[in-house]
Amino acid sequence: MVLQARYADVPIEEKQRLFDQVKADERFESYLYGCYECGICVAACPSARFYDFSPRKIAQAASREDLPMFYEQLNDDIWNCSQCFSCTRCPRGNNPGGLITIMREVSINNGLTSAKNALEGYGRVVYKIMSTGTQVSPDMLQPNAFPDWGPHVQEISDNLALWRRALPPDTMHTTSTAWEVDDKTLTELYLIWHMTGVLDMIKQVDTGLHMILNDVMEELLEEAGFTPE
Amino acid sequence: MPETVLVIGGGPAGLEAARAIATIGGKALLVERRAVLGGTPDESNYAALTPRMGSAQEALDVLRAGVVDPNIDVRVETTVTGCSGSVGDFAVTLTGPAGETKEHVGAIVVATGFQHFDPGRETQMYGYYEYPDVITLPDAEKMLSEHRFVRPSTGEPPRNVAFIQCVGSRDRRLGNEYCSKVCCGVASKEAIEIRRLLPDTKVYIFYIDMRMYGYWENEIYWPAQEQYNVTYIRGIVTEIVGKDGRLLMKGEDTTMGRPLEVLMDMIVLSVGMEPSRGTRDVAGILGIEQNKYGFIATPGEPMDPVSTNVPGIYVAGAAAGPKDLEDTVGMAGAAAMRAVGAVRGLARSEAAVTR
Repeated sequence: MVLQARYADVPIEEKQRLFDQVKADERFESYLYGCYECGICVAACPSARFYDFSPRKIAQAASREDLPMFYEQLNDDIWNCSQCFSCTRCPRGNNPGGLITIMREVSINNGLTSAKNALEGYGRVVYKIMSTGTQVSPDMLQPNAFPDWGPHVQEISDNLALWRRALPPDTMHTTSTAWEVDDKTLTELYLIWHMTGVLDMIKQVDTGLHMILNDVMEELLEEAGFTPE
Repeated sequence: MPETVLVIGGGPAGLEAARAIATIGGKALLVERRAVLGGTPDESNYAALTPRMGSAQEALDVLRAGVVDPNIDVRVETTVTGCSGSVGDFAVTLTGPAGETKEHVGAIVVATGFQHFDPGRETQMYGYYEYPDVITLPDAEKMLSEHRFVRPSTGEPPRNVAFIQCVGSRDRRLGNEYCSKVCCGVASKEAIEIRRLLPDTKVYIFYIDMRMYGYWENEIYWPAQEQYNVTYIRGIVTEIVGKDGRLLMKGEDTTMGRPLEVLMDMIVLSVGMEPSRGTRDVAGILGIEQNKYGFIATPGEPMDPVSTNVPGIYVAGAAAGPKDLEDTVGMAGAAAMRAVGAVRGLARSEAAVTR
């Protein structure tokens, strides 16, 4: 439908294949009805205030089955969404944020470079939450991934244990976990990652992380009587 | 004093007005220019009515049956060619197959309707008379009434079809500044029918605003978009040029903020309403005021949509401006009531008051 589109070198069949995966998701039907193009979702969207990002265009492209635009969004836009779902105030009952959830999953499942790049900075967060059940720990930050957090992140990260000890309240002097998670909880958590396919998704975007997580989970799962398969 | 009400026009408004006059005990004289009753929905081959897709001919048959009544004198192939007198006693000249006759009537209901805008009237910008695959809503309606939809140039089903809204409406340059009210619904209805007939055909509707008031919203617009995947794009096409046997249309996708150039197999122009020839002629013969667009003026609106500026002469349906069928039939009942009141001396004798 359009004159120009980025990714003109990507064959239309590939764009169609990825779009079909999004459309085949069982949530799709209840996330997209028709679009008035009214912009209420954009008005409510925090990301739209700071990025060139529009949940309206996500809904429109999907509704029109505009494959070139869909593919652009799949690569360049969906990671700008904060998944707050303010956009669900749509008068037609659309859920643009939900469409983005599906698009992100398709993007990861297909190992798109854009997904790898977008998730690169989150390796440690993913590792923490998947191995311990909580991402909130003093060492959760990857100093090289969040320049917008300021120049002191590197300095603090380098001497994390020292800073930690310097805090007046009782911190148990740990840097890798915020609280203790018992083995039963962890075992259940690991089973969830396996059975819902989350581990397979990680494999698509970060094989190293996937290997490390498998190693971490192996012992507890075997103790509980589960084999890697 | 004549008890009879003259009803001019045998379309939905005139048929319903005549039926209503007889129902409340009056006498009606119904004249129709054509040899058959039914008006524009019949003459322009309407197939399924908006929004509920009921058969147009079946609906018209109900109205036609309503005027089979000893108190209704139906004269087809007859036009009004002269009028004098005033409320309570108009002397009208009718010209029909048997020549001229004079009739005395107490009141008159004008139900002379509209005609579809002719896309070649002022401008050839959409190439209606140049490209066979550029058609209008009534052209599409004729094909759909035969349960087919093909490219006139090849006889093959189109791969993609675009409707262009507001052709001949909402246009200061053309003089038709008004919205024709029904084209959004009719185009969406036809789009649904095309998608039902040809599931592999992409259908686009290019619009300025979609005006799907009341239940047309959820009965036509939403299903078209949600169930039949009709694509609505806000932006009006600037021009159409022939290219490789197809139609290249140029416009802007305004909500996406980018120019648009697409090849279509067929383009349907959503032509609006203009006063019919009969409406213009009858307005002159009866000496009733027309508005700046040529429709019969109704100075009593909003509370009196049926009184003209002449006491005893009322208007129903699209002779008074763009109307859907619900409004048309509703107006016909109101006009019938006023007209019978007038012949019985019950109506206020003054003309409609501007409110």
